[in-house]
Amino acid sequence: MTGRGFDHADEAFAFIEKLDAIADSEGVVDAMASSLARFGFENFIITGLPHPRERFEYVVVLRSWPEGWFEIYAREDYVRVDPVIRLCRNTVQPFEWTEAPYDAEQEPRAAEVMRRAADFRMARGFCLPIHGLQGYEACLSMSGIDLDLTARTKPALHLMAMYAFERARQILQPGGLPRSAGLTPRERETLTWAALGKSAADTGEILGITERTVTAHVASACQKLGAANKTQAVARAVQHRLIAI
Amino acid sequence: MTAIHVVGRSNRHLYGDALEQWFRLRHAVFVGERGWTALARPDGRDIDSYDDEHAIYLLAIDAGRVVGGQRLYPTLRPHMISEVFPHLVARDIPAGPTVFEWTRYFVVKERRMGRTDCRLLAALQAFCLEEGITHVTAVVEMWWLPRWQQAGFRAKPLGLPQPVEGQPTVAALIEISEESRSAALRVGGLRPSSLVRHGTGSPQEADHAAA
Repeated sequence: MTGRGFDHADEAFAFIEKLDAIADSEGVVDAMASSLARFGFENFIITGLPHPRERFEYVVVLRSWPEGWFEIYAREDYVRVDPVIRLCRNTVQPFEWTEAPYDAEQEPRAAEVMRRAADFRMARGFCLPIHGLQGYEACLSMSGIDLDLTARTKPALHLMAMYAFERARQILQPGGLPRSAGLTPRERETLTWAALGKSAADTGEILGITERTVTAHVASACQKLGAANKTQAVARAVQHRLIAI
Repeated sequence: MTAIHVVGRSNRHLYGDALEQWFRLRHAVFVGERGWTALARPDGRDIDSYDDEHAIYLLAIDAGRVVGGQRLYPTLRPHMISEVFPHLVARDIPAGPTVFEWTRYFVVKERRMGRTDCRLLAALQAFCLEEGITHVTAVVEMWWLPRWQQAGFRAKPLGLPQPVEGQPTVAALIEISEESRSAALRVGGLRPSSLVRHGTGSPQEADHAAA
């Protein structure tokens, strides 16, 4: 895969510079399509990772996916079983799709999503997970058939993906506020202290608020996370990296 | 209540205990958690050759306890990018009287929920604005970049990422601006608060004329 006649580092820096001048998400899609095509990529998507009660379509930031595939993926709710999405939650490093593990026997739906993606020329892929502040989670996933995806080109693609993501985020969330299942900073703090084994009374003392207020924050977090009690809320918040312990 | 304290050569005698905590925490975070074994020291304190009289620390202190911090160092002197990581920079290494290198950033484990990060990031911008510093350079693991960006930092890569201690790492040039400062405060849900400058007189702590 050598000698395609372009310098991947120059391509990356030129791409990042170009992004600065782009003002809308269509512009980002166009710039990504032309630059990523030079590495053989035909499709890509930037999406937040949905929480248990969130629909995939609502967290997609931008996409250049075959229309048929987007419909199937949303209708089948493949985001819940996609091994690429699962690995995104558990690593901060970019990876090839083949590195996303699943058990074809035990997880037939995971095998199905990978197989059906290949029907849409999404045979191989490269994915960059994004883990931001306060539990923000997203990814940029790109795919195609004949990819120039080597140890030499991956650093350039890594950097390009990071900046493409950031530009799209800036354009679509100009306030810069993170998505975090709608949990407030106080709700995250009270859950974090609960995760560290503190009672509501301890937490109140630490944060300088009353025990009653702590309980109210936890109750509100339970509701937002669809959790039956504090224990389940903590488990979900950790699982979805809304809190770090 | 956490406040950010400016500690430099003129007032470090007032911060003996805080600096001791800071050096020990650095060892715990960078050697213990992140596995930068090259920094390991038997006394459990991470102190390197840039912890000299030219270093400025912005320490997050809550009721006498250091909960995070960061270091600034003049780029007119030999600094980490020029001495240790020049290969991470594809073109010229940014240096000048208004460019400082930003290193050893961390927040203690139990405060990693975003607010203390935003407080430290806003304090970095505030300090640089007060001191007339226009840019900072930094070496950072790639997975950290989106956190800065989310907090409103504008960071340009200086080269392609390369593995450092097994992690893809990039050198970046960060623009100092009032917009970035207010974005960091907004994302953290924080009210603007002044930097604490005990015994430093006024700004001009930064050693612009270092040579």
